[in-house]
Amino acid sequence: MNPVLAVEPTLATTLEENLDKTVELGLFHWHGLPTLVITLVWVALPFFVGFSIYLLPRFDRILALTVTLCSLAYGLALSVSDQSQVLHLVDRFGVTLELDSLSGYFIVTNALVTLGVLLYCWHQPKKAFFYTQVIILQGSVNAAFICADFMSLYVALEVISIAAFLLIAYPRSDRSIWVGLRYLFVSNTAMLFYLLGAVLVYQANNSFAFTGLAQAPKEAIALIFLGLLSKGGVFVSGLWLPLTHGESETPVSALLSGSVVKTGIYPLLRLTLLQPDLDPIVRLFGVATALMGVTYAILAKNTKRMLAFHTISQLGFVLAAPLVGGFYALTHGLVKASLFLTAGNLPSRSFKELKKTTLPPFLWIALVLASFSIAGLPLFAGFGAKALTVKYLLPWQELAMNIAAVGTAISFAKFIFLPVQFPWQIQENGTAIVVSESISRNLKPALFVLIGGLLLGNAIYLEAYSTAKVLKAVVTLGIGWTLYHTLIPRITFKPSHAPEQFDHLIGVMSLMLTLIFWMVVA
Amino acid sequence: MLGLEHSLEFSLEACILATTLLGFFGIILKRNLMMKIIAMDVMSTGVIAYYVLIAARSGLFSPIFNPNDAHSPGAASGAASGAASSATNALGSATTNPIAYADPVPQAVILTAIVIGFSIQALMLVGVMKLSRDNPTLDIEDIEQQYKP
Repeated sequence: MNPVLAVEPTLATTLEENLDKTVELGLFHWHGLPTLVITLVWVALPFFVGFSIYLLPRFDRILALTVTLCSLAYGLALSVSDQSQVLHLVDRFGVTLELDSLSGYFIVTNALVTLGVLLYCWHQPKKAFFYTQVIILQGSVNAAFICADFMSLYVALEVISIAAFLLIAYPRSDRSIWVGLRYLFVSNTAMLFYLLGAVLVYQANNSFAFTGLAQAPKEAIALIFLGLLSKGGVFVSGLWLPLTHGESETPVSALLSGSVVKTGIYPLLRLTLLQPDLDPIVRLFGVATALMGVTYAILAKNTKRMLAFHTISQLGFVLAAPLVGGFYALTHGLVKASLFLTAGNLPSRSFKELKKTTLPPFLWIALVLASFSIAGLPLFAGFGAKALTVKYLLPWQELAMNIAAVGTAISFAKFIFLPVQFPWQIQENGTAIVVSESISRNLKPALFVLIGGLLLGNAIYLEAYSTAKVLKAVVTLGIGWTLYHTLIPRITFKPSHAPEQFDHLIGVMSLMLTLIFWMVVA
Repeated sequence: MLGLEHSLEFSLEACILATTLLGFFGIILKRNLMMKIIAMDVMSTGVIAYYVLIAARSGLFSPIFNPNDAHSPGAASGAASGAASSATNALGSATTNPIAYADPVPQAVILTAIVIGFSIQALMLVGVMKLSRDNPTLDIEDIEQQYKP
């Protein structure tokens, strides 16, 4: 049920046609193999290996790790290339793939987040089924990040839904089954609207390629956008996300928030770059999402719910400047995966309870490093990503996005100002608070990869380091922390859970459809 | 005659879109989780029918390649380009070929969507089966109340 299966019978004929082209464009000259072959092997590999893991349960972790490292290498090679390449399999109505640095960033994000999660689960008693699903999920997310036609995207997104459902329901508790069921139901309903839009695009062009959206009727744009916005957790269509990401198991939350939710965002960026008149709509949704998410995040009382709402707001940042969204998505994926993994090991999930306990330094430092990156402080890639996004913002967006940045600083002050005990603060007869052996064994390698990635990511946009920008980041953080200590404790408002009820999640789709339609027509 | 055909096609399209909408409202208005899933199936039936309708815009005959049909423009190019030729065939049929073939692409594509839709539905029904042990009424409000964060 993946796009690869549909392609393979015709592989032989297409290879011949594409061989000359690819050698001459030569994205991977150092391999000496044409791009098409490498790409197809890379797309197919996770699916073959994923099912093999189930047959060879003894090698589950090794196989999963190998596939992830291959994917990382492929993504890195793609993200440094400066050309874009379109591959047509079969014909104009067949599968279209587009490879450029934007997809490269998303693929690297996916690979690093999966790598972090695999290292985190390395010593845990997870069954081969878990690794099978992680690898199939990784493969389908990768497929979504390179396809450039609506049908392959549909197939990739639906495979993602199924694999994500199985991962969410992995503990087999009734609660996890309900959380997964709700996710599957909402995303499948959204995808039905998307399918309607896709056939309208086909009718206008005799092709499902993304490029055909310009000639398609307006309602096609509205239907497709509704599907992608719901899947990507944008604005009010994204309110399914806090429960799903907040209530899943720790490694699954990290996967969902770090990479899976971006499969709805990537096609939106791609469509916007293809069709400039959609640009204002996507930017507006970006701003609205950033503000809505951050408001909820400030008011959240639960660590994982706060992180989930914050994911919504960060997706807004990715959409606000479509051209450079890839880099922002990369830094957000790394930060959010490390935060979810760390928050899952805190003694409690309620901030109120956590304030009464004392954290061991290891967990606190992990939280602070990731929080600093997401708040856009220098030394971390988050700083460069934020600077790059701000550079490409339009004037009307800047104020709103600065407010959202202050909101981010406020919401992460909740982590930074948790009580912590350093070794030198221990009283004479007191005992040091340390993390248990198992937590540090699970967490250390994962955080090493994720936070290491954040430090290395600085290299992508070194021009960000100017005095004015550093000053701005520090001032934003200062304002955020001041507000956290002065204004925020006085807010007792507790947002209602009603908008997150199942019926409202489905009902809001009809409202969003109308809204997007009139935005497109206007 | 053309007018009648067009109005028939329009009413067919209206019925299909009405099915989709009815399914959608069923998802919202039905309280039982099982009924919600069935409503989603109704909605997906509507979507599938829409694909079939759009495929039938160019003709109603099944687009099956027939070697005896050598006079048709697509068939001459042989089986090597398989799917490509039959599509050209279907598109070109209105002018040169008396046989009006249906467009094979939406039909092929919706077959994938049907399979995906039905596997998702099977998965959801298994989930509901599990849930029904603790929530025999499967009422959405009870379930949401019980698993509230």
